[in-house]
Parts: sequence; structure tokens; C-alpha cells
Amino acid sequence: MSTDSEASFTINIAQGEIEFLRKKLELTRLPDEITDAGRDYGVPLTDIRRLLARWKDGYDWKKHEAILNAELPQFTRKVAVDGFDELDIHYVHKKSKIKDALPLLFVHGWPGSFIEVRKILPLLTAPSDEYPSFHVVTFSLPGYGFSSNPTKRGFGMDQYAEVGHKLMLALGYHEYVTQGGDWGFYILRRQASLYGGTHNKAWHTNFPRALPDVEPPSSLPNPYDGLTEVERNGLGRTKWFRSEGRGYAIEQGTQPQTLGYSLADSPVGLLGWIYEKLVNWSDEYPWEEDEGLFLSVFTSRYMANFSVPTVLTWVSIYWFSRAGPTASLRIYYERMHEGSSPEETHIPMGYSYFPKELWRVPSRWLQAPNLVFESEHTEGGHFAAHEKPELLVGDLRTMFGKGGPAFGVVPGKTGYNAEVRHPPS
Amino acid sequence: MIEAPASCLSLPFTMSLTETPFTIAIPDSELQFLKQSLELTRFPDELEDARREYGAPLADIQRLTKHWKEEYLPKWREHEAKLNEDLPQFTRDIEIEGHGVLNIHYVHKKSTVVDAIPLLFVHGWPGSFLEVRKLLPLLVAASPDHPSFHVVAVGLPGYGFSDAPKKKGFATAQYAELGNKLMISLGYHRIVTQGGDWGYLITRTIAQNYGPKHSKAWHTNMPLCEPPHPIRRPLILLSYLIFGLSAKEKEGLARAANFQEKGDGYFKEQSTQPQTLGYSLADSPVGLLAWIYEKLVNWTDEYPWTEDEVLTWISIYWFSKAGPAASVRIYYEITQSQPNALITNCATPIPVGHSHFPREIASFPRGWLKSSNLVFSGEHEKGGHFAAYEQPEALANDVRKMFSKGSPAFGVVPGKTGY
Repeated sequence: MSTDSEASFTINIAQGEIEFLRKKLELTRLPDEITDAGRDYGVPLTDIRRLLARWKDGYDWKKHEAILNAELPQFTRKVAVDGFDELDIHYVHKKSKIKDALPLLFVHGWPGSFIEVRKILPLLTAPSDEYPSFHVVTFSLPGYGFSSNPTKRGFGMDQYAEVGHKLMLALGYHEYVTQGGDWGFYILRRQASLYGGTHNKAWHTNFPRALPDVEPPSSLPNPYDGLTEVERNGLGRTKWFRSEGRGYAIEQGTQPQTLGYSLADSPVGLLGWIYEKLVNWSDEYPWEEDEGLFLSVFTSRYMANFSVPTVLTWVSIYWFSRAGPTASLRIYYERMHEGSSPEETHIPMGYSYFPKELWRVPSRWLQAPNLVFESEHTEGGHFAAHEKPELLVGDLRTMFGKGGPAFGVVPGKTGYNAEVRHPPS
Repeated sequence: MIEAPASCLSLPFTMSLTETPFTIAIPDSELQFLKQSLELTRFPDELEDARREYGAPLADIQRLTKHWKEEYLPKWREHEAKLNEDLPQFTRDIEIEGHGVLNIHYVHKKSTVVDAIPLLFVHGWPGSFLEVRKLLPLLVAASPDHPSFHVVAVGLPGYGFSDAPKKKGFATAQYAELGNKLMISLGYHRIVTQGGDWGYLITRTIAQNYGPKHSKAWHTNMPLCEPPHPIRRPLILLSYLIFGLSAKEKEGLARAANFQEKGDGYFKEQSTQPQTLGYSLADSPVGLLAWIYEKLVNWTDEYPWTEDEVLTWISIYWFSKAGPAASVRIYYEITQSQPNALITNCATPIPVGHSHFPREIASFPRGWLKSSNLVFSGEHEKGGHFAAYEQPEALANDVRKMFSKGSPAFGVVPGKTGY
């Protein structure tokens, strides 16, 4: 258990680091490209040239650092993990004005970070009589953002789950719900089975990667009958991803250190490696125009034409991360060597389906006794919290709100003001 | 040593035997740029007990980087001169159907034996023309006891000092066309070939597309055709029982399975997103070093690489004419157009020879590799994927045996017996 050792944190990258990055960018050597390559061979050279030019000249990290610090109340805290050295965990914590708001832990994945909470945070914590409100916690996974990283091998799903769980307890949230996608899915699924019932009361994911393969459960009769067009498209995309889209994962899961020399040393290499996923995995999200799409904490309105080049901030977090970008890859290795097996959870569970997610199989294949909420969307991809914050939060509000399948799952913390009657238990 | 071209009286008068000599001469500005890049290197950390299992070890990479900066690069001109001395090099424009003219860099050394057998040596990835360095003197050496060869080692497009293809779709047939046309342009209308890695696939295709008219026999140190279809783990286990495999064969299959589980991340990335990876390899000398060095270690039989050897190998990639990113596109082009190219479509109309080295990436039971045109099969106790570099005498001996007096492939090139 951690001691009450919370320290306020502001991101403050040293000028020397910023200068070093600038020097490296100046020295960038770019490859050529096949004529008319399009996106077929990887990130197009024109995209990289454009992003590189901006990164070198015009992108002011200090400005974006200040914006992040203003938007996201951050802290660090020591968290002990069984069998490993104590970690210093960086996290965001924002309480709702509603006293009995529902404590929610949000867990990111790769190539994401704590930054993925920035649009949903004001929505989740907003007080209202119409929908439930949440106290929100998200942390930088060990090896990401401004958390420290494990120094020994074997830090797997159990350990990531332990960190999140212990953090919630340390913050006084003995009963909580969770939300995540990508690694967040794997981690929270484990967390639900380790701490479900007593502490973890319900969980929600936008990446329901619940089957080991793109195969229906053997017990299901006629699994391919009556598929909707969305489900057929989803299956197609899933098969594409499995056969064509996993080169990065196989390298990261087998030789993360080898790849890591490149990502640690080359900012443009890191940029290409991550940006490819931002584009391929999202639903035509306008990354480079990611302006005006964040909610002002002051006005609760999305600010228009506010120049926030998200791609460069996103990648800079990796470049400037406490542990360096290589550390973020090792989760793939540890998971691959853990071996996977079907994992069931027994607490109320919710799935949101976004059409450009990488994993989408027919809903009937995913039925489970504890699946109490499902929601199908017509737009959005892998980075749901960033691409479609209102849709994702809308789903959580429905799942946990009055009349919803998981309303009141944390006793005494319905997410509404005290006048709301608790449901009969 | 550059030999004068042999008499051209027997050649069609349309062929030009004029060769354009090439010497490696990296501009000072490139050396300076590399020095600056190395000085700005940022290393990752490493897990305490990572050993070799997470990838190239940090201690190795840091040691190599230091040597590169402080010893190797300052002495580059010596290394360059030695390369030029050991390897007589040339360039030549070759037109490839649908792809225009590419300027191709190659090594060419003739034996003093006039009727030596013309041999095309084809490298793979992460190799280069450099791989012929130790084999070359052995193959051209004259002796009454074994055949000699006139050797051409082609620098594949996108590697070393050859141009890279500019258009999509430069795949197996194009590489084969290139090799064949290069030999013909040098007056070698009938040839034999030797290759491993992509060189195996390319020389097999030369055999199929240009044999027996031009290619008369082919030898490979990475024979992969043809496993029972398709090769999977349960089948591997079953084959242990059915085929009564030798210890060596079991070990070879185990290595193949291990490669599929742990060793083919690079293949998957290079065959799907070569450009994305290319940004890293073009920009980071240390990233490039690690990417290749991992294979130099994992794929060899405890070869005692010196730092200079590794750095020469990597420097050819770093200083390559087209840049390192071009070299990985071959994976994309071949895999996208011909999935499972390496282990399917195996039949060739000409004699073939195999050499088996125990630490090759994958090797299959000999029964799977038999064919009616298999005229030679050599087994070795030592050596891995880069056979020409690790075990040049063993490989040279195998190639000599395949074509020696009394062997089935003797005299396969009319008038060029090697003696």
C-alpha cells in the first residue's frame, strides 16, 4: 500500500531537453519514397515532412505544456507493487462538484497516454441532474508519460492492474468503476477479475477484445447468420488488422529493445511509428487540424480555432517521457510471454462499439452473463476518448445513470446529488 | 585486383564488355554528418535481467557506438581502401521492363582459368555485396583439384551502391531479370548461381525463368522448398513421429518454429509498413546498427564478430546510395505479390545443390527437400545464415564439389568446366 505521499505535479521539461530535441530535429535525415506510394508502404513522406517542419519551427512545447498543466490537475505518488521496486506514478485526478460522484479510473494504452483523458475529463466531471457525474482518475502506465518504469522483467497485466487499484485505494476510492481501451482493456479485465466485487464494481471498454481469435465461440449455433452490415465490415477490418496491421506488435512483443534504440534516438522515427497508428486506427480523425476540438475548462464549450497540434504534443510526451519511449514497448513483450487465455469477469460490464476500432466481431459472439450494456456507434475508431468524447461519455452516463443497468453500482455514490433516490437494492 | 577482360571474340558484337570501374568514396560531408549524428545519440535504458531476450543488449550497442565514433569512423578511409582493394567493383545501367534503367553496382572478378565457370552470387537482407568478400578469392582460385569460377556479385537494387527502384512492384521477377541481364551484359550467357536469404529466392527464380537457356545450375545455402503445406506447429510435432528425423533435422525444425514465434517481427513490419520503419533506419545510425546487429548475432553460429566487421557491414547500409529505408521494401513487394514465396513454387528445370548449415534460420528435413534435380547436398557442423561470410571455405568447397570432375553438374556450362 502506498503511504499518503501525494505530490502535486506540473510537467516541466527542462530547457536542455527541448534544445536537444531541436538539435536532433535539425539533423534529421529523411528517406526517399516509392512514386505514388500513397499510404501503402507506411506514413507518406509528405506527411512526415510537414510534421517535421512544424515540429522544428512553430511548435512551442512550453506553450502546450502549460495548456496541459492548466487542463489536467496532476500529481505523483509512490505505489508499491509486489515483487518489484516501488514506482513513482504520475496521475491526473479531478473531482466532480457533486459529492457523491462515481469514482472512475480511466486507463490508456499504446500509443496513447494520460493525454487521452483531456476531452472526456470535463464531460465526466460536469455536474448535472440529467446524468451522473464522476470523480476521475487516470494514470500514466509505468513506462509511459511521467511515471517511472519497472526495472525488472515480468511486469505484466497483474502488476498494471495492481497499480491502478492501489492508486484508487490511496485516493480513498475503495469502490470504483473503470473505463479503458487498448492496453486499458487487458489491464482492466484483469483488474476486474482480481479486485472485482469487493472494490471494482463495474467496468466499461471501447475495445472488447474478448475472444482469443477471430473465431466464434464453439458453443454458438450459426454464428454467421444474420450479421448486420456493420458487423460484417467490422469482421473484415479485424481480419485485415490481424494479417496486415500487427507488424509493430510482433516486433514490440519479441524484440522491444532492438526497436527501442531507434525510437529513443530518432524523433522523426518515433513520430512516424506513432503517427501511422493515429491515422490508420482512427476514423479519419483530422489530427493535424486538431484545433478547436477541446473543451475549455472555463467555458465548458469546445474552443474554435485554438491551435493545438495534437500529433506533436502526443509524440512529444513519448519523446520527453520519464522512462524514454523504449520502456513503453515492453508491455507487449511481457504480455506475449504471459501467454493468453480466455478471461471471464463477473462484475457488470459494458461495451461500446466504434466502427473503425481494430477489433470488431459480431455482438452475439461476445455475449456474457455480466454484459449489461452495449452501444453501437456509426463513427469513431480506436482512440474513442479523443475522437468521440461525447459519444463515449454518453455511453457511460447511460450505463451508470438513473435507469441504467449499472446505476448505483457503488453504494452511496450514484453520481447525482443526494436528493436522487437510490434504487431498491 | 582487376583482371583484364577475357577475349571477346566469342561474344555477340552487340555486347559491350567495357566496364565502368567503381570505387567506394564516401564524401567528407557524409562522414561529418554521421559523426554529428553519433555524437547526438540518445540511448534507451534496459531491464536488469534482459540478457539477449528483449533484443540487442545495451552494453553491446553502446560499445559498438563508442567504437564507431572514436575508432572506426576516424579511420573510415582505411576501411574504405581495404574494401576497394579486396573487391573489384563496377557499375552498369540495366533496363528492367516496366521500371526503366537502374544503375547497378557489382563486384566482378575473373579467375586466371580462362574456362572458369561464370557464377552469379546474390545476397539478401541484411546482407550486401560485402558478403562475397571472403568467398571471392576461394572461388576464383586456380587449381587442378577443383573448378574455378568467374564471379559476379550483384548489389541488389536498393542496397549498397546500386540505385533503388522508384516504382511499385519491383519484385522477384524483376530481381531475377536484373541478375540475368547483368550476366548477359558481361558476356556470360550461360551461368551458374549461388545465393541465400533473398538470394535463394532470386536465384531460384532465375533458374525458373531463365534456365536452362541461361542459368544452368543453382546452389543455395538456404534451401526451403518445400515443406508439407502449410507448415504449422502441430505438423512439426507430427513430423517428428512420422518421418523419423535425425537430431540435426529436429534442431532445424525447432529453429524454424522459434523463428516464427520470436524472430519474425522485423519480417512482419518490413513486409507491411517498410516506409514507417524506414524513417527510423534512415535517421538513426544507432537504430540502424541495432536493427541489423541483432540479426548478425541471432542468425550466425557464434561468429566472433569484431567491432570493425560489424561497423563495415552497417556502414554500407548507412552510406548506401538509396539509403537504408529502400533496402526493406523488398519484403513488402515480394510478400504482397507472392505470399509464402519462399516455400512454394519450388520446381526448377536445372540441377540444384544444397548446403546445410546448422544455425541457419530455418532448415527442414532433408526428405522434404529432395527433388529429381537435386545433385548435391552438403552437411556442416558449424555455420549459420551468413554462410559465405562465416564459413567461406566450407561453402566454397561445396560449390566446387557440386561442379567438379565426375559430379553430375560437371560441365553444365558448355566449354566452361572450371579447369
